[in-house]
Amino acid sequence: MDHKDSIGVFFFDLMGTVNDPINYSELAKYTLGFQQVLQAWHYSDFPWNEETIRKKIETNDLSKIIVAGALPGTVKTLFSKAMSMAGKNPSSVILVSFNEYGIWSDKEIERAKALLICAIRDIPYEIAAMPGDAPVNPATMIIGGGISGIQAALEIANGNTLVYLIEKTGTIGGKMATFDKTFPTLDCAACILTPKMVEVNQHPNIRLMSYCEVREVTGDAGNFTVKLLQKARKVNVTTCIGCGTCAEKCPATAPSEFDSGTTMRKAIYMPFPQAVPNKYLIDAESCIYLKTGKCRACVKACPVPDCINLDEPDKEVLIKVGNIIVATGYKTFDAARMEQYGYGKYPNVLAALEFERLLNASGPTGGNIHYRTQDKKGNWIFSTEAEKPEKLAIIHCVGSRDKNYNKYCSRVCCMYSLKFAHLILDKLPEAEVFEYFIDMRSFGKGYEEFYERIKEEGVSIIRGKTAKVEAKNGKLLIRGEDILRSELIENIVDMVILSTGLEPGEDTKKISEMLGIPTSDGGWLEEANYNTDPTGTFRGGIMLAGTCQGPKDIPDSVAQGSAAAARVIQNILRGRVTKDISGLTLEEIENHINEISPIQV
Amino acid sequence: MSIRVNPDLRNELIQFGIGDWNACYHCGTCTAICPLSEEGFLFPRKKIRLMQMGLQGPLESSVEPWLCYYCGDCTKTCPRDANPGELMMSLRRYLTSTYDWTGLSKKFYTSKIWELAWILFFAALVIISFLVILPSFGYKFTTELTAEGGVKLNSFAPIPIIEAFDWIMAIIVATLLISNILRMYYKIIWKNSTTKVSLWVHIREFWLLIFNFAVQPKFSKCDDKRYWGAHWFLMSGYTIMFIVIVVFLPWFQTEKILPVWDPQRWLGYYATFGLLFGLVIAIFGRLKKKDIKFRFSHVSDWLFLVMLTLTVITGIFIHIFRINGMPMATYVSYITHMAVLVPMILIEVPFSKWSHLAYRPFAVYFTQLKKNAVLK
Repeated sequence: MDHKDSIGVFFFDLMGTVNDPINYSELAKYTLGFQQVLQAWHYSDFPWNEETIRKKIETNDLSKIIVAGALPGTVKTLFSKAMSMAGKNPSSVILVSFNEYGIWSDKEIERAKALLICAIRDIPYEIAAMPGDAPVNPATMIIGGGISGIQAALEIANGNTLVYLIEKTGTIGGKMATFDKTFPTLDCAACILTPKMVEVNQHPNIRLMSYCEVREVTGDAGNFTVKLLQKARKVNVTTCIGCGTCAEKCPATAPSEFDSGTTMRKAIYMPFPQAVPNKYLIDAESCIYLKTGKCRACVKACPVPDCINLDEPDKEVLIKVGNIIVATGYKTFDAARMEQYGYGKYPNVLAALEFERLLNASGPTGGNIHYRTQDKKGNWIFSTEAEKPEKLAIIHCVGSRDKNYNKYCSRVCCMYSLKFAHLILDKLPEAEVFEYFIDMRSFGKGYEEFYERIKEEGVSIIRGKTAKVEAKNGKLLIRGEDILRSELIENIVDMVILSTGLEPGEDTKKISEMLGIPTSDGGWLEEANYNTDPTGTFRGGIMLAGTCQGPKDIPDSVAQGSAAAARVIQNILRGRVTKDISGLTLEEIENHINEISPIQV
Repeated sequence: MSIRVNPDLRNELIQFGIGDWNACYHCGTCTAICPLSEEGFLFPRKKIRLMQMGLQGPLESSVEPWLCYYCGDCTKTCPRDANPGELMMSLRRYLTSTYDWTGLSKKFYTSKIWELAWILFFAALVIISFLVILPSFGYKFTTELTAEGGVKLNSFAPIPIIEAFDWIMAIIVATLLISNILRMYYKIIWKNSTTKVSLWVHIREFWLLIFNFAVQPKFSKCDDKRYWGAHWFLMSGYTIMFIVIVVFLPWFQTEKILPVWDPQRWLGYYATFGLLFGLVIAIFGRLKKKDIKFRFSHVSDWLFLVMLTLTVITGIFIHIFRINGMPMATYVSYITHMAVLVPMILIEVPFSKWSHLAYRPFAVYFTQLKKNAVLK
């Protein structure tokens, strides 16, 4: 360091004041604490010209000028000119931009000081503020037991370290478990997924905590303390033999979450036959005993003594982990929000996940496509006794690419709609299938080929999103415009399937606040860098996987699950984890600077 | 055949209204949601396409903008916020300016100063006529009252002169409007080589023109029928007033105070009430901006509403002051009434918003002619 350095600091504030204005006199006091700094000025308006600045430079014999403020770049030339007029080096004008580093009010004054000391001591802020690292607890928590969470859990656990897999519902598997086939390979989704689910359950390094929610996360990278709420299943997971006698006797019913409401389940239920853990649980909201204090039919029916405990309370569990992977997934767009399509009004207008269950061999009709009809009580149900539809229409982009709802593209709908068309023709070869789309987005390996294949199968693929669905003579009238032929379409069909888009899962906002990860446009969790670090976050030790970061299909979700696992394994192998940038204090930065370039006296 | 492309078309059109029309990605929702769009006459999407591609010729010869009655469903459901409804409205303004051969219409629509200057000019002419020219011919203000206690209006504004002036104005406006309609016919039917229609078809379908002028059946197909009702009320009130003033002025502008049950009085009251009702709905709608059809107001929309409201209010004042024997107040109201009415008729009817009274029914008529041509 040049000990002859004599610095003048100019603060200026052209942006006007906010609610909590930056305390410039404190900043000036801070800079004057350094022996190199001779003088500091603060102006709130702009009365300067080269001449006045030149005089200040000459009278104080300044060799370097620091211009600090909201947008210092706007006045740099002025200072450079003044420096050369005074016969000094015009390039010795250092800018400290508060805007660029997110300094808007007095709350961020520590960061402003850190930027100033870096400017005074000639050390780039990026180097001075390099976060340190901390020792890492080898245990990992994964929030969400969908395909991304399962993939990440298996990758890490196979590396021989402990994983807590936290799942909100009664079973892992997520949305993928409800699908019939995957695109474009038309693999059976359950056949790929269930072996992985079972592997998770049996893995010695995975602690599967289903029916469990994350309540609070404290601590820092490498050493998080997590408070979990283990909701009461009211059925002992270790002793339950999964025989189902309890459900047979249970008098209370509720719509099945797994079947997207197309079937009913009992209050004591197993989400689906291949659920993991393969044990029953009680839904407190529909259980008659928990509401009225009378019933206990399940307890009487259960062949295992003391297996069902209806009075079991929820309990809190504390775990300590070093890394966290967030894999909370998505929910589908609520098609009822778009009234013009009549979802919820016409029974044979189906949302995508409902139709997915209708196609599925474990679904309400055993994989056969039937109308939704009324049973004797007047409830709308799917039944194999109903007739089969002959004309089906699939409407793309429901709730996606629409500024009134979600402006983003949900990425998967085009492909799953094409898959639907294929599966319909597979099951009903005589049926007519219409796809109404805006733009066909068949990106990715094998996707365009899949699209070509569907076109050859005789599906009518029509460009032009339809505007509305109306009832006509017991059937559904679709009104739209065929863009390529410039014709009005009035098509009468038997069943309409709405390709609903993806939205961040219900708890994404809560998770984002709990973990301190910002959300980006559309409410998805924000990654550290879109291109180069899509699994990382701004917080050290917290990674993202799957659709909580943005809409994606199964292969991408799996890939991101593995990628997040690699980041965790990297931290564990290194034994240390990089801390958050935002956690750095001024003192740490000062010490760091003194380490890099000690003051010479 | 070559088609000329005008790459600057969008920038020209944006002067006639507002909308992010280039945002359209052609999903067809607007066309399909529209209750008036029909096979062969599809809009708004196709018009947006023409606009985006700069196809000025086909756009200027299209009849569809006049078939839209702006229910706003297209703008409400548009996934791109491209505002197709406002494009149709802007196209109507644009087409009005292309039918007009004088070029004044475009000036009025695109320049506030130009429009205001002409309005003030005509208003000044009217005021000077009443204050300087008429008195110099001996038609003076008089504070004398009639035997019944009413104001002697006819000695201040002599019926033969006002009537002659009415007819002159009506002929000027009609000439301009008819020449513009002929240009509209030329653009939509004549120039189009695919639409050759026989004279007999022209005569056979002519009833449509009168029917649509009187009832606006297309407007009633829009989802909210209340606007059709309000518009019809206003339109019928205006038509009655117009006929009464131009054709039956000696009967209407009396010095006598007629009994309330006289047709002269209740026709006047009906027309006034109809106009006021329609105006109140339009003004409150445009202030509240709740309905999409009222959300985006062009200067010409407001000028029209303000001038018509002033005309109606001063008309009411004339009536009240006259029968109550208040000469000066009557004269001031009468001059103001004419100073607003004359520029409104001269500017709005042939060149601006009010020309739709002719273009809309003619558009339905031309549409029917085109359909006949297609059928052959």
